[in-house]
Amino acid sequence: MDNITIVVAEASCLIQKGLVALLKNLDGTQVIQKLDKAEGLFESLSTLKPNILILNPDLFDGNADLINQSCAKLEACKLVIISNEKEVENKYSADAYIHYSDRQDKIMDCFESLKEDLDKKYKKEKSDDTISAREKNILKHIALGLTNKEIADQLFISIHTVVTHRKNITQKLGIKSVSGLTVYAILNNLISMDEVK
Amino acid sequence: MADVIQMNYMLIPVIYRFGINLGFGDKTVKEICDETEVDLNFFLQLVNTYHDKDYFPKEELQTIPSKNIVAYLKMTHSSYLNEKLSEIEGLIEALQHAEAEDEKYILLIRNFFEGYKNELTEHIMHEEELVFPYVLAVEEICKTGMVSARNRQLYESFSIVEYQDGHDDVEEKLMDLKTIMIKYLTPPSNTNLYHKIIQLLFMLEQDLNYHSRIEDKVLIPKMILMEKTVAELI
Repeated sequence: MDNITIVVAEASCLIQKGLVALLKNLDGTQVIQKLDKAEGLFESLSTLKPNILILNPDLFDGNADLINQSCAKLEACKLVIISNEKEVENKYSADAYIHYSDRQDKIMDCFESLKEDLDKKYKKEKSDDTISAREKNILKHIALGLTNKEIADQLFISIHTVVTHRKNITQKLGIKSVSGLTVYAILNNLISMDEVK
Repeated sequence: MADVIQMNYMLIPVIYRFGINLGFGDKTVKEICDETEVDLNFFLQLVNTYHDKDYFPKEELQTIPSKNIVAYLKMTHSSYLNEKLSEIEGLIEALQHAEAEDEKYILLIRNFFEGYKNELTEHIMHEEELVFPYVLAVEEICKTGMVSARNRQLYESFSIVEYQDGHDDVEEKLMDLKTIMIKYLTPPSNTNLYHKIIQLLFMLEQDLNYHSRIEDKVLIPKMILMEKTVAELI
């Protein structure tokens, strides 16, 4: 993975700056946003889509329910809780925990292992980036303008399977609309231009 | 005002939509707003929203009359329909003329863009013909406390929840077009033109995002509140 993006949400400017300085030593990571208040945090996360969120629960007055609930909704984002409280591990469900009194090597170890996790996951995703022969066939049918039901009937599979294939195709190609998929199919000679109505 | 534009050139079309033209010398934002009879508060909120994507003054924007918001949204609509879309269309056409070999692929892109354009136009028409009159009617009822026959009819014909549900992502196609042009097409020999089209698509997308953010985050919550007031009145 080229660049791991990090958002730091911490009210204390000293701690925030300290964290950012430490993260500078970690290659392949980038702090893309620093916040010192809770407002707009989760809103901006949905657009920033960081790989790691470092959050101080004090921002939400230590409201564990709210934090756990909101963070559970974040897809593919690792959560690091930074706090001065004891036993934060039991209170919040995060991927890692940093305590104010932690030494530098402990903090760096924590980030290193998160980075490794993310790298591994990314490689896995990357390896099956191209669409399979089966998916190509489904894509062809989608491009011809068939509905999920029609595709299921023609290929003797369940609608549920068709939907799963569609989801995978969209995710791999980054194209959502039917007309976009059609263009892709023509460009890759899955169908000819005359076949499209 | 000149500083504002120096800071972010993307704001040029935004101020133009307010009827503010360039060539304002050293006049301040307030002076220009007074001259052109633009609500200073609304102008500032909106410009800040555009400029800083984390700045979103929901509460301040909520206090601005829907009439102003609708007027602004209408102006953005007409700029999409009359300028942006036809500009991109023109460039795609130019590309088509310039290329002999890859013509087939450019035709694909052109058809795709046409499809997108129609979808966006339809969406805009729906808003202008149905949603905006409804918004204005509800606001009038709230303000005057009176329900005229016409407004009553408008109120009963629609509900903002419907709009919220039907407010589907018209940007999907635009994103697909960009993805296709970036990832899957071999660029034609006129790369200059090709790159320009992609850049314009990015700009259009950004502009549309801000536009729909105002609709979703300001207009809809505002309407939900006002609908409640009206429901109590009736």
